[in-house]
Amino acid sequence: MRKLRQLWTLAALTAAETLRQPVCLLLTMSCVVLTILVPLTTAHNFGEEGRLARDSGLAFHLMFGLFLGGYAACAALTRERESGTAAAVLSKPVDRSVFFAAKFLGITGVVLVFSTSATLATLLAQRVALKYASDTGHLLDGLTAGLAMGSPVIACGVGAWANFRHRRAFQSTAMATLPLLLAVVAVGCGCFTRAGGWAPYHPQLQWQIVPASLLVAMGLAMLGAIALTLAVRLSLVPTVSTCFVILLLGLASDYVFGQSAGHAPLANLLYALTPNWQHFWVADAIAGGGVVSGTYMLRCALYAFLYTSGILCLGIVAFQHAEVS
Amino acid sequence: MSDPVICTTALTKVFKDFWGRTRVPALTALDLKVHPGEVFGLLGPNGSGKSTTMKLLLGLLRPTKGRVSIMGRSPQHTATRNRIGYLPEEAQLYQYLTATETLHFYGRLFGLNRTDIESRTSQLIDMVGLTHAAQRPVGEFSRGMARRIGLAQALINDPDLLILDEPTAGLDPVGCRQIKDLLGALAKRGKTVVLSSHLLADVQDVCDRITLLHNGRSIAAGTLDGLLKHSEKLQFTVETHTPEQVEAIKIAIRECCGEDPSVDVPTIALETFFVNAIANATGAADTPPSGVSQKTALAPFLGEP
Repeated sequence: MRKLRQLWTLAALTAAETLRQPVCLLLTMSCVVLTILVPLTTAHNFGEEGRLARDSGLAFHLMFGLFLGGYAACAALTRERESGTAAAVLSKPVDRSVFFAAKFLGITGVVLVFSTSATLATLLAQRVALKYASDTGHLLDGLTAGLAMGSPVIACGVGAWANFRHRRAFQSTAMATLPLLLAVVAVGCGCFTRAGGWAPYHPQLQWQIVPASLLVAMGLAMLGAIALTLAVRLSLVPTVSTCFVILLLGLASDYVFGQSAGHAPLANLLYALTPNWQHFWVADAIAGGGVVSGTYMLRCALYAFLYTSGILCLGIVAFQHAEVS
Repeated sequence: MSDPVICTTALTKVFKDFWGRTRVPALTALDLKVHPGEVFGLLGPNGSGKSTTMKLLLGLLRPTKGRVSIMGRSPQHTATRNRIGYLPEEAQLYQYLTATETLHFYGRLFGLNRTDIESRTSQLIDMVGLTHAAQRPVGEFSRGMARRIGLAQALINDPDLLILDEPTAGLDPVGCRQIKDLLGALAKRGKTVVLSSHLLADVQDVCDRITLLHNGRSIAAGTLDGLLKHSEKLQFTVETHTPEQVEAIKIAIRECCGEDPSVDVPTIALETFFVNAIANATGAADTPPSGVSQKTALAPFLGEP
């Protein structure tokens, strides 16, 4: 019971401290703004209305999430080890395994907040994107775009107000407010037509983006576990760089190792060990008219859970033997 | 004598680089015994192995050779760390937490209930003189204020053993005196204190025994009296005197001992002068303090049996 309480306390602290880092807010805001900007600045639809917005949104989700996860892992572990806060905590009756697991949970919490904003932004961007109707011709959803772009501004305003009136941290308030505002816009935009007039409720959102984003979030959680394990021995830049290499390797693993996996034992081993991000990237399948089934989601969740658990076990073993000075 | 709280035998620590090659030998064959209720000082210049010793005592570093026992158990044992309070060399704190949140956080790690956490937090913040800054993020604190909140977190569990790395570093003379008074009061209540410092006056004021480290080796150890006493010299002090009386005493000593005694007017320590002057100025001032208020009383829960 006490270990659970410590786990929760440390995870909550990790999440709160990470959310209060200005760079987290910057990455989240950049991801949301760029996602919504894409349909406003492009005139192509690549053969499918909203495809560019959706694919870009998912790609921004993955890339910004990678940097956020890598940074959060380093801030949570490497910097704490270097600054001495980890020593202060581990001098208390806290197991190193609890400390390490709590760091992962805290980072995952931050990634979830980020992923919620990124998912909502992608949903809205897909709605904003240029679409053709016989009565209106090619039309951007300007009202939804305006409301979505206004959300980060209002979130910052709420953060500033909470800081001024209640001395709450600006960054974490803005980070927490942003997904709420985007959710309000996502729900509220159903009351309007694309031309901006009132209409019977019809959100016109492509809900297939939600499972696709959920899969990206699972991939980010796996990357977070890898980054945290690397952060036991490495500092910020090597950790993020190595994560990037693992990301590229995982994206290409079907091609690099998968083709020879059947007849070369080494390729087989590497194929099994490399995280296969292709499982978590279903943008192309959606573009081809596919549907992300519940069974597929469960299988991916199981893969992510087992892979993450294995990586975390390695990290815990490494951290048990690490010296904290 | 009762069992030692801390016992190290041939404790050795060699730091290695990323590839496992020897980088620097930090501590060599250190034997220590610290008994309950003692205030024990680790002295030495920078890089002499004081902080390394403390981290080995806490189980944060693993010895290369030798063994450490804290209250009869390994420092890795969770139950052992339940009874220890630790102030790191640089009181590194979570910079976005307020002083109150910091103490709540550490209280929860010790499994204290909500009532105890609230009560101890309030008492400790008052004790270290940070009531006015209780709701400010500790990242905004000066070094001295961070030191104070660091000391408060080390005391939140009412520890039996207090390990303090440079406890007075960054504090003003009044803060130094408060810490020293606090350590004395804790020792009187049976707490064991191990502190490191290179401020010799601080160690001399509070420590019962010391070990002097140099290049990771103990080069002197013992009680302060035993190490510092000049057994061949004697000092007399009188409160009231006239020049005639002084001359008569000098003549008497010359006749008795065959040598001229030296006569000095004793001065008070600069620290005492400073502390008294600040105390008088604080009493006369009618504006509230901006950051640290001057307190000397021990938090009530630390005095409980």
